[in-house]
Amino acid sequence: MYDYVVIGSGIIGSLITRELSKYAVKVLVIDKENDIASHQTTANSAIIHSGHDPKVGSLKAKFCVLGNKLYDDLEKELNIPLLRTGALVVANGKKEETALDELYQRALKNEVPEVSIISGEEARTLDPLLSKDITKALSLPTTKVTYPWEVAISAIGNAIKNGASFKRNAHVISIEKNSTHYVLHLKDGSTIASKNIINAAGVNSDVIASYLEEPEFKITPRKGEYYVLDRKAVGLFHQVIYPLPTDAGKGVLIVPQVHGNVLLGPTSTLVEDKECYSNTKEGFSYIKQHLKRLSKEIPFDMIIRTFAGVRATSTYEDFYIKESKLHKGFYHVAGIDSPGLTAAPAIANYVVHELLNIQAPLKTAFDPIFQKPKPFHSLPFETQQKLVRENPKYGNLICKCEKITEQEIIDAIHGPTGNDTIKGIKKRARAGAGLCQGGYCEGLVLKIIARETNKPLTEINYYASDTPILVKETKTNEKN
Amino acid sequence: MKKTDLAIIGGGAAGLAAALSASGSSLSILVIEREKVLGGILNQCIHNGFGLHMFKEELTGPEYANRFIEDLRRENIDVLYGTTVIDIQKKDTFLLTLTSEVHGYETLEAKAVIIASGCYERTRGAVQLPGERPKGIMPAGSAQRYLNIDGYLVGKKVFILGSGDIGLIMARRMTLEGAKVLGVAEIMPYSNGLTRNIVQCLNDYDIPLFLSHTVTDIKGKNTLEQITIQQVDEQFNPIINTEKVFDVDTLLLSIGLIPDVALFDSLKMKKSPITKSAIVDQSLMTSVEGLFICGNALHVHDLVDWVSKEGEKAGKYAKQYLLANRINPKNSKAIVPGDHIRYVVPHEIDFNNVTDDSVTLSFRVTKKMASGTFKVIQNGEVIQMKKAKYIAPAEMESLTIKLEELKSFDPITLSLEETL
Repeated sequence: MYDYVVIGSGIIGSLITRELSKYAVKVLVIDKENDIASHQTTANSAIIHSGHDPKVGSLKAKFCVLGNKLYDDLEKELNIPLLRTGALVVANGKKEETALDELYQRALKNEVPEVSIISGEEARTLDPLLSKDITKALSLPTTKVTYPWEVAISAIGNAIKNGASFKRNAHVISIEKNSTHYVLHLKDGSTIASKNIINAAGVNSDVIASYLEEPEFKITPRKGEYYVLDRKAVGLFHQVIYPLPTDAGKGVLIVPQVHGNVLLGPTSTLVEDKECYSNTKEGFSYIKQHLKRLSKEIPFDMIIRTFAGVRATSTYEDFYIKESKLHKGFYHVAGIDSPGLTAAPAIANYVVHELLNIQAPLKTAFDPIFQKPKPFHSLPFETQQKLVRENPKYGNLICKCEKITEQEIIDAIHGPTGNDTIKGIKKRARAGAGLCQGGYCEGLVLKIIARETNKPLTEINYYASDTPILVKETKTNEKN
Repeated sequence: MKKTDLAIIGGGAAGLAAALSASGSSLSILVIEREKVLGGILNQCIHNGFGLHMFKEELTGPEYANRFIEDLRRENIDVLYGTTVIDIQKKDTFLLTLTSEVHGYETLEAKAVIIASGCYERTRGAVQLPGERPKGIMPAGSAQRYLNIDGYLVGKKVFILGSGDIGLIMARRMTLEGAKVLGVAEIMPYSNGLTRNIVQCLNDYDIPLFLSHTVTDIKGKNTLEQITIQQVDEQFNPIINTEKVFDVDTLLLSIGLIPDVALFDSLKMKKSPITKSAIVDQSLMTSVEGLFICGNALHVHDLVDWVSKEGEKAGKYAKQYLLANRINPKNSKAIVPGDHIRYVVPHEIDFNNVTDDSVTLSFRVTKKMASGTFKVIQNGEVIQMKKAKYIAPAEMESLTIKLEELKSFDPITLSLEETL
C-alpha cells in the first residue's frame, strides 16, 4: 500500500514525486509509457519564462515567477543544464509598442525582476540578427532555457534515491475507491493500492479524473509544431526572442537550446487527438511566415529535425490544482499548459505543502543532490585521457555528430531511471540527436542495448513497447 | 605524440585509393578508419556492378574493396582501426585528436591530410517531411546495413521515398528477402538513380516508380501504419485529388547524400553551397594548404569507380605537395557552372601550381537531355566542345580540358547546350 501514487512522470509528476520523497511517506510514480516524460515534457519550447505573460493574480503568474527562481536550486541539486539567455519580446511600430508597454506593466505587476523596455537599436546590439523593423523590445533578463526531460528524469532519479519508486508501462484504465484506499487498475491486469492519488496525467488528466467523477475541467488539446536547427547554429541568437503574445499563446519563438541547437516554433492549433504529434506543410509555412517579423536571417537549411507537442490546455482558465470535491485524497494537477515547465517546481511545492498539507519535518536521510556525470566531450583533455585509461569504453565514439561515447550509452541504459530504447538513450545521452539523426549510430546503440540488457536484437524497441527496429532475421541467418 | 607525413581520414573507397597512390616513396602514411575493418560503405553493398571501369569486371562491394585492401597490405601502409577523428586544428602542421577503445585519446601530427570521410544520408527532418513520427522510417542505407551486415530486416511492407541508388538497390534486396515493396516515389520528374538500377531493381520486380510524387502524410502513433503520396506540380506543391494511400510498416528514405565534413569546420575551409563541401583546385587541395579531399566527402558520386579515381588523384597530389614541401603563391581562377550545369569539381584552377597538361572536370547537369553539347568557354570564346547523349542529373559527367588550349589565365565557364 502506497501513501501516494502520482499518475504521470512528466515535469509535474516527477517534481511532485521528488518533493514527496523528502518526507516519510511511501510514494510511487507511474507512467503509461515505456519511459519517463514522453509527452508534453519532451515536446515544448524548453523555456524557463520570467513571468511577463500570465494574467495578473493568476496561479500561472505566481508559480511562473516563483518557479523561475526555484530552477536555480534545481540546477545546484539535480545538476540539470540551465542556459541563462534572457529574453526579448519585440515590437514592430507604434501600435505594437503600446501593447508592449501594457506587457511591461503586467510584468511589473507580476513582480518579474529586472524588466525594462529597450530600443530596437539596443535589441540589435544584443542580438544582431534581429529584424531592422523592430522598434522596441521588452527585456526579460531572468528568462532561462533548460533540457526539460532531463529535469524530470533527474528529479525521479533523486526521488528514487530517497525512497520513492517508479513504474513504467503502467496504464491506468480505471480507479476503484473503497473505505480506506484507492485501487488503480492497470491495462496489464495488475492493480496498485494507494491511500492518495495525484493526477498529473497531462493531456489525459481529465480521463483519469473521469474514472471517479465528472471533472470540472476538460482538456482541449492544442498542438504546437517545432523545427530544430543543428547546433552549428549556436551563437546566431543569444536570447529567447518572443513576438507579442496573443490569445493563442506566446507566438512563434526563436529559442537557443542548451546543447547549441536553436528551436523555432511553435504553431498553435486545436486538435482532437491528444497525442497528435504530426508536423504539417502548413505548420512549417506558418512558422517561416511569422518568424520574418523577428529576424530575416534564419538559416532554415540548418533544420535537422521537426517535432510537435500537445499542450494540456483546459477549459478552466488557470492551472487546475485542487482536491476532488467528492473524493478525499484524489488530487488533480491539471490543465498545466504554458508556463507549466517553469511553474513546475513551484507547483510541486504548493501541492505537497498546501494542498496535501504535508508540513512534517524532512526525513533526516533526505539527500537533495543528484549527481550526473558531465558529457564526456565537455571535459578537459587531461581528464578525458585519464578516464579513457581507466575505462576504454570512453574511447569508443558512438555518436559522431554529438560526440557521445560508448560508456555514456551504457550509463544511460542502466540505473533506476535508465532506459533500454533507442529514443530513451537519445533523450539521456543525445546519441542520434545531431546532424545525421542517428543514421550512423542507431545500429551501434541498438547493439549496445542488446548486449547490456542481454536481449536479442529483435527485442530492442525504438521507444514504446513492441516497436522493434529489427523485425526479422534474414533467411541466411535462420538457416544458421 | 604520434607523427605522420600524410593522414588519410577514412578507409573506404576514396581513402584506400588515395593511400595507394600516395605510397611508394619515403613518406609515412596513416589511414584512420572508424570501423574495425577497411572498405567503408562498400562492405554493405553486397550487390554486384562495381569495378566496370577500374577492373573491367563486375564485382560486389566487398570484392571491390578487397582489391584495394590487399594492395594496401602489400604496400605495408599503416592503418588505425576503430579510431575516430574528433578534432582537427592547423598550426604549421595539422593536429588531429583521435579516439579509440584501444589507444584512448591521442594527438596525431600530420604534414598533410586527405579527407576521405564519405557522406551521410539526408534525413527526414532536413526535408521537413510531414506527418507523425513512429518507428519504421529510416534512411535506406541504415536499412541496408541492418540487412547486409547484421542480417535483419527492418520491415515487411515497404515504401521508398526518393529514387536514389541506395533506395532502388534496397527495393530489390528487401523483395528478395521476402518483404513486399509497394512503390518508390520521386519528387523530381526524373529518376535520381542510375538507369540500370531502375531496370534491374524496380522494373524486373514490378515495383512502381511514381515520378513527380512525394510523401505528404505519415500515420502511426508508435509503429508506422500508413503513408500518403501525392503528385506535385512544377513548384513541388502537392496537387489535390492525387492522393494515393499505402498501408506499410516501413518507409525508407533515399532522398540524397551529403558530404560528411562537419568535423572540418574548425579549419574554416571555403565551401560550396551546392556540394556542401570544400572548394578545391585541380590538385583537390582545399583553401587550407595541405588539406586535400576526395570521394563522396567532396561531392557525391554515382559510381565507386570514379570515387577511386578521385582518391588516386588526391593521393598523387598530396604526395607531390609533401615531396616538394611547398606550393607557389596561388593564382586561382574559378571554373564556373554555366547553363544546365549544377556544379563542377574542381571549382578552381590554380594556374601557378599546375603540374599536368590537362584538368579533368567532374560535374552534374540540372536537366535530362537526349543529347547535348558541353562547351568550355573562356573570355566569351568556346575553346573546347564535347557532344554527349542521354545526359541526366543522376549521372556524373566528365570532360578533360587540355591546358595548352587555354588562351589566358582567366576564369572558365562550363555550359551545356541541348540539341533539339
